[in-house]
Amino acid sequence: MTNSYQYQNQLAQDRLGFRITARLSDATDSLPHDISERLRAARVQAVGQRKMALKYAVSDLALSGGEGSVTFGKQHFGWWGRLAAAIPLLALVVGLIAINVIQDDNRDRELADIDAALLTDDLPPEAYADPGFLQFLKINAAQDR
Amino acid sequence: MASEQELSDFLKDVEKRAFKRSVYHVRNVESALDIVQDSMMKLAVHYGDKPVAELPMLFQRILSNCTLDWFRRQKTRNALFSNLSDFESAGEDGEFDLLETLNTQNHSDQTESAESSTQRAQTLHEIESEIQALPNRQREAFLMRYWEELDVADTAAAMGCSEGSVKTHCSRAIRALGKALRARGIKL
Repeated sequence: MTNSYQYQNQLAQDRLGFRITARLSDATDSLPHDISERLRAARVQAVGQRKMALKYAVSDLALSGGEGSVTFGKQHFGWWGRLAAAIPLLALVVGLIAINVIQDDNRDRELADIDAALLTDDLPPEAYADPGFLQFLKINAAQDR
Repeated sequence: MASEQELSDFLKDVEKRAFKRSVYHVRNVESALDIVQDSMMKLAVHYGDKPVAELPMLFQRILSNCTLDWFRRQKTRNALFSNLSDFESAGEDGEFDLLETLNTQNHSDQTESAESSTQRAQTLHEIESEIQALPNRQREAFLMRYWEELDVADTAAAMGCSEGSVKTHCSRAIRALGKALRARGIKL
C-alpha cells in the first residue's frame, strides 16, 4: 500500500518535472540568432581542437618507437621502445666509467714517473726526509733568485 | 570511440540547454557562453575518444565543474576588489532578458495570436524565475534529471553525490516549483 502510494507519488513528480522542462525546451529551441551563432562557433572550435589533440597523440606515438601499439590518447611503449629510451642512459654510464678508468691510469702513470725519477737520481730518497737537506734546498732556491 | 560527426551532433543537441542552464546558474549571458565554450572544449580535447554513450554524463560533469570554477573565480575577484561594480550600470552586456528572447522567437511565428504569445512568455518567465530561485544543488539535480533526461545513477555520478541525494534534491525541487507555480496560478 505504502509502496504503491510512493510509486504514484514518484510518477506524479516525474510527470510534473517533465512538463516543466518541456516548457523550457520550447523556449530553448529558438534562442537569439547571435547566441546560436556563438554556440555554433564554439562547437566547431571544440571539434577542431579534438582533431588536433588526436593528431598530436598519434604523432607522439609514432616518434616513440616503431613497434608501439597505436591507441589514441594512451601511450603504450613496446620493449623496443623501452630499450631505445634506455640507450642514452646506458651511454652515459659507460662514458662515466671510461673517464674514471682513464683518469686513474693517468694518475698511476704520473706517480710511476715521479718514483722512477727519484729512484734513478744520485740523491737517495731518504734525503728528502732530512730537515737539514730541506733547509739547504731552501737557501739555494733563495740565492738562485 | 565517438566520431567527429557524432561528437558534433552531440554538442549540437546539448549546447542550447547547456547555455540556458548556465544562465540559470550564473545569471549572465557572457559568462554562460564562456562556461559552455570551456566545457565543450574540455570534452572534445580530453574525452573526445570516449564512446558516444558516455558523453552526456561526462559533459554534464564538466559543465558543473566549469560553473563551479566560475563561482570560485567570482568569489576570489569579489574578495580582491570591493563592490565597485555595484555602481556600474547593468544591461550593457550582462543582462539577459528572457522575454526578449521570446519576443524574438515569436516574430517568426505569425500564426500565433499576440495574447497567447504574451501569455506563454509570461509563463515561461515565471517558470524560469522559480527555477532560478531554487537552491543550486536542487536546481542542478532537477535540470539534469528532467531536462537532460539523465537517469538517477548518471545524475548522481555527474553531481558527485549519492542516488538518494539526487532523489531528495529532485523531490524538493519539484515540490517547491509545483507550490510556487500553483501560487502564481500557472497550470501545466
